[in-house]
Amino acid sequence: MARLGMLIDLSACVGCAACAVACKMENQVPAGASRLWIREREVGLFPNLAVEFRPEQCNHCENPPCVPVCPTGASYQTKDGLVEVDVAKCIACGACAAACPYDARFTNKKGGYADKCNFCAHRLAKDQQPACVETCPAYARVFGDLDDPNSEIAKVLKAAERSDVLRPDQGTRPKVIYLNAPSKKGLTQEVSDS
Amino acid sequence: MTEFYGVPNTGEFWHWTNALHFVLVGLAGGMALLAAILTLRQHPERNRYVWLAAVLIVLDLFVLWAESPARWRFSHIWLFLSFQPGAPIWWGAWGLAAALVATAALLLKQWFVPLRRIPEVVPGLVLLLGSLVALAYPGFALAVNTTRPLWNEMMLFIFPITALLMVLAIALLLGSTWAKRWEVLVAALSLALLVAYPLTLQGAAREHFNQEGLIGYGVAGLLIAVAALFFRNPRWAAALGLAGAVGVRWLLVMVGQFQSPGL
Amino acid sequence: MKLPRRNFLKLSAAAVGAVSVGGAVTLTSRAKAAPAWYTKEVTQVFQICENCFWRCGIKASVVGNRVYKVDGYKENPKSRGMLCPRGQAAPAQTYDPDRLKKPLIRIEGSQRGDGRYREASWEEALDYIAKKMLGLKEQYGTESIAFFGHGTGDGWFVDFLPAAWGSPNAAKPSVSLCTAPREVAAQYTFGRAIGGHEPIDWPNTKYIVLIGHHIGEDTHNTQLQEFSEARKNGARVVVVDPRFSTAAAKADRWLPIKPGTDTALLLAWIHVLISENLYDQAFIEKYTVGMDQLVAHIKPYTPEWAEQQTEIPAQVIRQVAREMAQHKPKAILPPTRHTVWYGNDTQRMRASYILNTLLGNYGREGGFYIAMAPYLEKYPTPQLPLEPAAGGCAGPAAVVTEPEGFKPRADKGKFLANTTAIQELIEPMVSGQPYPIKGLFAYGINLFHAIPNVPRTKEALSKLDLYVAIDVLPQEHVMWADVILPEATYLERYDDFVTVAHKTPFIQLRMPAHEPLYDSKPGWWIAKELGKRIGLEQFFPWQNIEEYLDTRMQSVGLDLETMKSMGTMVQSGKPWLTDWEKENSLPFNTLSGKIELYSEALAKAGFDPLPKYEAPQAVPEGFYRLLYGRSPVHTFARTQNNPVLMEMESSNSVWLNAEEAARLGFKPGDHAYLINQDGVREGPVRLKVTQRIRKDAVYITHGFGHKAKGMALADGRGASDSYLQTRYTLDRISGGAGLRNNFVKLEKAPAPKLKSVTQLIKERGA
Repeated sequence: MARLGMLIDLSACVGCAACAVACKMENQVPAGASRLWIREREVGLFPNLAVEFRPEQCNHCENPPCVPVCPTGASYQTKDGLVEVDVAKCIACGACAAACPYDARFTNKKGGYADKCNFCAHRLAKDQQPACVETCPAYARVFGDLDDPNSEIAKVLKAAERSDVLRPDQGTRPKVIYLNAPSKKGLTQEVSDS
Repeated sequence: MTEFYGVPNTGEFWHWTNALHFVLVGLAGGMALLAAILTLRQHPERNRYVWLAAVLIVLDLFVLWAESPARWRFSHIWLFLSFQPGAPIWWGAWGLAAALVATAALLLKQWFVPLRRIPEVVPGLVLLLGSLVALAYPGFALAVNTTRPLWNEMMLFIFPITALLMVLAIALLLGSTWAKRWEVLVAALSLALLVAYPLTLQGAAREHFNQEGLIGYGVAGLLIAVAALFFRNPRWAAALGLAGAVGVRWLLVMVGQFQSPGL
Repeated sequence: MKLPRRNFLKLSAAAVGAVSVGGAVTLTSRAKAAPAWYTKEVTQVFQICENCFWRCGIKASVVGNRVYKVDGYKENPKSRGMLCPRGQAAPAQTYDPDRLKKPLIRIEGSQRGDGRYREASWEEALDYIAKKMLGLKEQYGTESIAFFGHGTGDGWFVDFLPAAWGSPNAAKPSVSLCTAPREVAAQYTFGRAIGGHEPIDWPNTKYIVLIGHHIGEDTHNTQLQEFSEARKNGARVVVVDPRFSTAAAKADRWLPIKPGTDTALLLAWIHVLISENLYDQAFIEKYTVGMDQLVAHIKPYTPEWAEQQTEIPAQVIRQVAREMAQHKPKAILPPTRHTVWYGNDTQRMRASYILNTLLGNYGREGGFYIAMAPYLEKYPTPQLPLEPAAGGCAGPAAVVTEPEGFKPRADKGKFLANTTAIQELIEPMVSGQPYPIKGLFAYGINLFHAIPNVPRTKEALSKLDLYVAIDVLPQEHVMWADVILPEATYLERYDDFVTVAHKTPFIQLRMPAHEPLYDSKPGWWIAKELGKRIGLEQFFPWQNIEEYLDTRMQSVGLDLETMKSMGTMVQSGKPWLTDWEKENSLPFNTLSGKIELYSEALAKAGFDPLPKYEAPQAVPEGFYRLLYGRSPVHTFARTQNNPVLMEMESSNSVWLNAEEAARLGFKPGDHAYLINQDGVREGPVRLKVTQRIRKDAVYITHGFGHKAKGMALADGRGASDSYLQTRYTLDRISGGAGLRNNFVKLEKAPAPKLKSVTQLIKERGA
């Protein structure tokens, strides 16, 4: 069975948000909510600087905290590793949003269900790439089957000097994997004021 | 400096209606527990508490239904028939449902004769089990979110205990004198938990709590303290204890939606 | 504290794991998750994006009277199947409730700028304009009406109509407020334009030096793709910028240059290449003139001297020059588009081209390629009385002398290049010199957010006898017009073909996805209907646009119907790279027929034949130099009412060096007013306290700070760089308006009291 995932090459990403807007349009994401957004952070002191442009979305975790807490089974993992919401089953209780360490979920009030990136499952069904991957003008994204050694994603991941995931401390095993973080320390983290 | 194009979904996912639910479910579960114990002990006041439990359960379920953006898809109710033991809400739903059925069995037998054949101990035990689940569920529903540091294991204790405080206070207000010593005990226990809780918070979580919740938390704690330790008038004490417990639950639900730093 | 909880979770997860994994992965379950529009009957229509001027070929997904999504398509050499954020969001403009919906006529007796209008029929509005135009012609001559515009439809209003009408005073901001210096310098050096789509052979280049280039921030689609390709192919990148730009964030080396000293750096690099004998000698000998003069001229410009000017260490300057040389001819300094910086910009661009030439990269792999224009005949109309004078991204276009009976353009003599400079055509509206301009058409251009010295523009507008605005949104300058004509948005109209000189030449089609909403009309219809009323009927012999387009398409053996199913016609042809060398046919249309390091033509006209260094105006005490640039999610001042893009970025912020911020007592998230040297105040605007900029400059992205009550999302957000550019320095060669000689100080300001964009969008329910 496939293990679908996504690579985001941070050395290529320019943070232009083409992916975020493509997602918003494709999925008609309501105002005030996001399935995909860009976090931009600077690291270092003048003139020794780096900027991390980091697109974030549902990580389609292999160990997704949002799935077990769903009381109706609306949040589920597909056999090929997508974390999906069956909107017909969802009661919009918010338990999954509470469990998500990535702020990836929101309640679609009009539809009455929990919403988030689903790797554009409807496009996958037609053999299309997710909208964010298709549109990326910086070639920063690769989507595919991490388990297939002949897939582009597996090859790129293998060749990458460095790969990171968000919040490894949470034990979620994300399948959105970031390559070539600009900072030598890996992905940046929010600095607490204290 | 961090900036965004678009925004992550950092806003609150649970609103005042959800906070209200966390209060009501405590009342419902607690009242069901009292009703179960009184029923099992064949206490003369039992009928009144079974009624109260039933009304509170229905009210809570109504609030849940009314606040859900999916409220017009009734089919959802049946989805709880799926087996989701990792989901505290699933447990809570079944606990409440079982308790509601038990109260119905107890209350309807005056009109519905076949029910009289069931000995009271059966619905009494179901009510007891259901109420325990309903009491435990809110704490689990919060504590299960490891990414929200304010909702730590203390929730497993604070929510059931404050639920008991609320219903015992109501019992006192209704003039059930047997509740008094339990109410004082539970208030003292609540107070101990409330004093301990801030000490279990660290770093950014503590900072957030101090900034967003400390005053309200202090006031609620004070109400409970006054209720437990100082007031001679049991009704006043009960009212203050009730208010404090409601405040604590409300505040923890709202303020606790804080995402741990790490992104 | 953490462990037990995790264990609890693990338990529950383990218990659940077994049941929850294993949901069906059937196509139908996937399709169930589809957004509503996707499941309906979607038709796809070939279009050309209009949310910036790169004009990518796109496919619009249409359901009924609504376009839900646009995508690039692989067959189009510009989008190549991809699209930037602005392009993705562009359909939202069509469904913007703030759109201009009906022709409007300014209420009799109201002042321009009062914004008081009454609705009118097209008939009445066009008759009104025609009558005024004919009156002006009678009284002052045809040249008394100026035509300004920008966008794909500007061909009708800024090229065709004025040439047919007989006014040489037609101008586009894309010339003198953008590319003029680089294009004029290219003409004087290579005898060729650079052109709208910078012909850089990115994928093959190995060493890229970007000077003030906003790649990644302008999101010019193809260019960004190729830049990414270049980097993936191992190209090293050096970025010269006072600001740690997006490009700098992708670079191997950042040189935080003192603003305005770029020419010193370029001259020093030339110095190193020559003094260390690192340049391409064969290339120079065969294809250039003026090397001897250059060698003599460059002697004093040592890296040590340049260090004094630029604050870049001499040793770094040397090292970068040597690295360039190592990679030559696959080393390049690509010209940026917006080159009107300090007023001596043509000379800076000349220095850049000379340096490129020394690297031997012109017409070579990994350097500049020579783009070929596609073949497509014009519609056979009678000879227009004038040649279109406005030019475009690809540079100036005008004639040396006008035909008998027509006055020369009103800005003639102010600068050397044969073109119109839009900001210089404002002056005659105010002063009446050399002759009065009494009428103005503004098509798509934002007069206040594009042209410097807004007070002068406002004075000019108030003195006009006729001011017509053709637009889609009630922008602030639009609400000054006598007549406002609501144009259909790009998705609702045909336009003329867009022909592109690129690696392969191609032609692309725009066709409507649905009927125009409201009472809006396509530009071609407006131009034709107006033409009929002002005696130009003979120049519009076609019945409708389909006939016009079909006739043009016949000239390349196709027809419109076929084109509708293709979207893009790619013609055969390839970029000239080494071919011209093999064939020994020199492509340089200079006087000498070679690349002119030393420009005899400039010398004759009284300008420096070789670029000299001029120090920039000093920053006054207590002020910062105002730098400006682009946001990847906005295009100039056009997109600030687009709900999707405004949700991405709802305001600009002013970048201030962290140490300066601390000195001034600003904290991150504070707001400030920007006050320029002439006392003009903008803001409040949020402060971005950052390490990413030098201490002597502040930076804002262009396009915010709208003062347009009719644009609910845009109004009052952020600060406008244009309003702060009350001064500009005219480039006497290109006519460009150097905009970076404006200075601002910061004052603390309260946070603006505005509803959130999300709130507004929800209220509008659009």
